[in-house]
Amino acid sequence: MIFSSALIENAVNEFARLPGIGKKTALRLVLHLLKQDPAQVKLFGDVVTRMRDQIKFCKVCHNVSDQEVCSICSSLSRNKALVCVVENIRDVMAIENTQQFNGVYHVLGGIISPIDGVGPDQLNIHTLVERVQQTGIEEIIMALSPTIEGDTTIYYLSKKLKDFPVKITTIARGIAFGGELEYADEMTLARSISNRLPLESYVQK
Amino acid sequence: MLLLRKISLVQFKNYTAERFEFNKRITGITGRNGSGKTNLLDAIYYICFTKSYFTSSEAQNTQYQTNGFRLEAYMDKKGQEGKIVCTVKDGKKDISLNDEPYDRFSHHIGKYPAVMIAPDDAEIILGGSEERRKWLDALLCQLHPGYLDNLITYQKILQQRNSLLKTIATQGGNQDALLDVFDEQLVYHGTPVFEVRRDFLPSFIRQVQELYDYLAGQHEVVNIQYQCGLHEQPFNKLLASNRYKDMMMQRTTGGIHRDDLQFLLDDHAMKTSASQGQRKSFLFALKLAQFEVIRQHKKFPPLLLLDDVFEKLDRERVSRLISLVSGPTYGQVFITDTHAERLLDAFKENEDSFQLIKMR
Repeated sequence: MIFSSALIENAVNEFARLPGIGKKTALRLVLHLLKQDPAQVKLFGDVVTRMRDQIKFCKVCHNVSDQEVCSICSSLSRNKALVCVVENIRDVMAIENTQQFNGVYHVLGGIISPIDGVGPDQLNIHTLVERVQQTGIEEIIMALSPTIEGDTTIYYLSKKLKDFPVKITTIARGIAFGGELEYADEMTLARSISNRLPLESYVQK
Repeated sequence: MLLLRKISLVQFKNYTAERFEFNKRITGITGRNGSGKTNLLDAIYYICFTKSYFTSSEAQNTQYQTNGFRLEAYMDKKGQEGKIVCTVKDGKKDISLNDEPYDRFSHHIGKYPAVMIAPDDAEIILGGSEERRKWLDALLCQLHPGYLDNLITYQKILQQRNSLLKTIATQGGNQDALLDVFDEQLVYHGTPVFEVRRDFLPSFIRQVQELYDYLAGQHEVVNIQYQCGLHEQPFNKLLASNRYKDMMMQRTTGGIHRDDLQFLLDDHAMKTSASQGQRKSFLFALKLAQFEVIRQHKKFPPLLLLDDVFEKLDRERVSRLISLVSGPTYGQVFITDTHAERLLDAFKENEDSFQLIKMR
C-alpha cells in the first residue's frame, strides 16, 4: 500500500497489529476516524490510553479491576469460602453472565503447557495456595477447559492443595444443553455415561 | 461381503480422468511399468483409509501442475451402497460418505477395511522400531475402541513432558511436582495401550505361524517378541526409576513409545539372519494374518490389495497364495502384474470370478 501521508501510514500499521485486523481493514478504520470530529477521535485515543495506564489487577484474584481489590472480591454478598479457579478473565465474564455463581474467583492467567513455555511458575498458583492457607476457603471449583492441558493443570493444583482441609471439585462435563444425544461425539457421550448423575441431583432445585 | 463396484480418479497421481468398473470378485490389473497399476491400488487404499499407503504428502498424490484431485468410489457393503468421495483442492481435504461430509476423517477409517501388501513392506522388518509400532497401532486401533484416543493423548502428554525436561535443563528449577503429574497422566493413558498390545500378540502369532507354514510349504518356527519395559515393572515404577536419566537426556527414555517388536525365525532375529525369501514369506504371513484378524472382527472380509506379488515370490508360493485368496474366506481381491499371461494363467481355475484390466 502506498500512502501520501506518513501519519496515515503509521496509524494503519498500528491498527494492523491488532488481532484479526489486516491492512485493508486497518485502512478502513483509519479513514473512518479521519471523517470524525477531532474531539471525538481524541476521546477515543484518551479512553484507550487511560484503560491501559490505569487498569489494575485485583490483588486477591488477579481479575481486572479499577481498585486494588476487584468489585467481586470486595463485595459483601459474595461467598468468600467458595473459589472458582479459571484460566483467564474471559472465563470470569462467562461465568458472571450465568448469574448462578455467588462465590469468588481465582484467575490463573493460563494453563500449564511447557510446549508453549508456560510452566507452573508463570501462573498465579502460589497466590492460590496462599489464599487457601490464610483465608477460610472451604471449596475450590476447577472451571478449566476439558483439554489435556486443562487436566494437567487440575492434577497439579490438586497436588499442591492436598494437605489443606479444602474440598476440590470440577465443573461437570458431558452433553450440552439443547444438544441431541446422537450428535454428541463419542468421547463426550462415553464420559457422560460413566459419570452419570443420580436423578435427585439432576432435577433442578 | 464388501465389494468395490466403481471408482473414478481425477488428477490422482498419473491419472488425468479415468473410470474403472469391477464386476468380478478377483481383479487382475496389468500394464507396463509406470502405467499406473500401483496408483490404482493406492486410490482404492485411499478411499478406505483417507490417505495414501505410500506417502503422507498430498502434493505427491496430485497430478503435476494441478491443484488437487478427486476420488469417487461406489462400495457395496452387505447389500448397502456407499458412495465415498475424497477431494483434495488447494491443500484442503474433504471426505464424504453418501454425500454427507465427515467432521473427523478418523470416523471413516474402519468402515471399509482393506489390507495392502506391497514391495515396500520389507521396511516393517528392516526399518526402525517406529515402522513396526505404526503397523501395529494401525491394526489395533481398528480392533479396539479407545486405543487410538489413548495413544494420541499419550503422545501429547509425552511432548509436554519432554518439553518440560528441556526447560529444566536450560533454565533449572525444581519441577518434580509437575513431572509427577505428567507421569500419572502417562501411566493412565499408556497402561491400557500396553495391555492391548500384550494381549493381542499371542493369538496373532499362531495365525502368522499357520500362514507361514502354508506359504513356505515347510515348518519353520516364526515368532514375534513384544519388547517393552512394562513387562518387568509397572509403568509408574519405570518412570520413577528413569526420572534422573530422563532429566539428563532431556527426554522420556522409557515407556510405550519405545516399544518394539522383534521378529524371529527359529529364534534368530529375522532382520539380520533370515534370507530374502524367508522374509517375504513372513511378510505375507503377517499381512494375511492381519487380514484374518480384521475379517473376524468385522465379520466380513476386507478388500485385499496385492501389489506386484509375482516379482516377490517363487512359483510355488505364488500358486499357494493364489489358491488361498481364491478361497471362500476371502473377499474382493485386486492384484497387479506386468504380464497379462501370468495373471490369466494363475487364475485359470477361477476364470468365472476373474476380471482383467489392461492399462494403456
